[in-house]
Amino acid sequence: MTTARNLTIDNALHGVGELLRDRISPEIGDPFAAQMARLSCMLLTICANGVDDAAELRVEENASIRAFLGEAAVLVDEPLARELTAAATSCDPGLRISVLDDENHRLRCLLVEAQTELEDSEASLASALNQRIWLLLEDIEAKRAPRE
Amino acid sequence: MSSLESRIAAYLAHAMPAASNVLVDDLGRIYGGSSQETFRLRARWTEGGQDIERRLILRRDAPAGLVVADRDLEYNVYRALAGQDLPIPGVYFLELDPQWLDRPFFIMDLCPGKPGSPFSPTDPYDGHGESIGRQFWSILGQLAAIDHRAVGLEGLRNGSATSGFWSLELDRWEGILDEGEALIEPAVRGAMRWLRRNPPPEPTKPAVVHGDYRSGNFLFTPDGKISAILDWEMCHVGDPLEDVAWGIDPFWPITRHYPLDDGLAQWEATSGLSVNRDALAWWQLFSVVKACVIWTTAASSFASGKNREMTIALSGIRAAHFHRKLLLSMMRDRGAMG
Repeated sequence: MTTARNLTIDNALHGVGELLRDRISPEIGDPFAAQMARLSCMLLTICANGVDDAAELRVEENASIRAFLGEAAVLVDEPLARELTAAATSCDPGLRISVLDDENHRLRCLLVEAQTELEDSEASLASALNQRIWLLLEDIEAKRAPRE
Repeated sequence: MSSLESRIAAYLAHAMPAASNVLVDDLGRIYGGSSQETFRLRARWTEGGQDIERRLILRRDAPAGLVVADRDLEYNVYRALAGQDLPIPGVYFLELDPQWLDRPFFIMDLCPGKPGSPFSPTDPYDGHGESIGRQFWSILGQLAAIDHRAVGLEGLRNGSATSGFWSLELDRWEGILDEGEALIEPAVRGAMRWLRRNPPPEPTKPAVVHGDYRSGNFLFTPDGKISAILDWEMCHVGDPLEDVAWGIDPFWPITRHYPLDDGLAQWEATSGLSVNRDALAWWQLFSVVKACVIWTTAASSFASGKNREMTIALSGIRAAHFHRKLLLSMMRDRGAMG
């Protein structure tokens, strides 16, 4: 069985971070610059740990938000209802992170609008859905936690 | 002298026409000045036949920072609060002309002491935590007791308002968020809506609000005395409980060193005001929202290339996550999740 590994982006970033922390930072005389080197390592580590599943995380998050927008569509008034329905049946326009992020922002904006209307409603279904949206937001935050 | 030392010396010679032989050395950047660039330096000159030496601090605008601040705000606050028996540095020169050091700056005293990092795994106050906690609340109470008009600070943000500070501040931070948010955070927006629907009681009186009163923004000496309250660039007039709530935020908890109830009693004794716990709870959620906005601004500054400090980038990632998680927990406590 081979032990060979791909030189992936995250692997390379980890390597650069270790270089900064273990070999460059100790050689820097200026305390401010040395601290910056150590913090750079920390930033690189967080970025490296977020590379591999970056697309998957966004695709899943977008799908979750779309599902909630679809549920909200039947509880809010026009024209928002139509917008939510369209968004609920939409697809990610590509798999580049920048494209997924733009789509994520668009869907989140609609989620904010949906929540605002649900909060104004006195219907128990609206209140229950809004509570589930807050649970979704907790879930999103947990999944997006920086990994150090 | 380095290039920057020479430029500072040239400025001091310009600002002090009676001085001669102006020299600047021992210049060093102080880590932690992420909203403004902070440098310590030694200045020496001859004036009236006497050799003078001063240890000074130079605060220069960063290309882009964590907060949006008027350039002369901090300088003006230091000047206005001088003589109020608050531990603050004396200030000397404010220069807005970029010809001297590329960006506006001011020069003030280097105060004795060191900051205690709220993120230190060990005791940041060298065994003086309880005493420092007590002083922390007393000084904040003193600040709350000051009549902002009497000290000439009615020009601060909200300085002419008599009520509705919660709304003015919420509007301000929502406006900043609208400008700097690349990826909208529904949780933060939801908390803002909650704050609007559940306004706090009005304060007994308006107060000078430091705006960033917390562990890490003051110095203490080896004998455990708070020697300087720093970083006033978010100072404004408002509800004094805003500073109380900010000071107990769990990201920089002074309550780690001094119990909250004792601290609030100390604050009440020196301010002459009482703490309305419902209002404090409102301001605690507001503080978390405000922190989220600041971290969003930080992320945006770094992403745009205007500010490439690592502390700015990490604030935009780690601190932002901390406060959004805390915000969600506070919204859960308020029944948002059922």
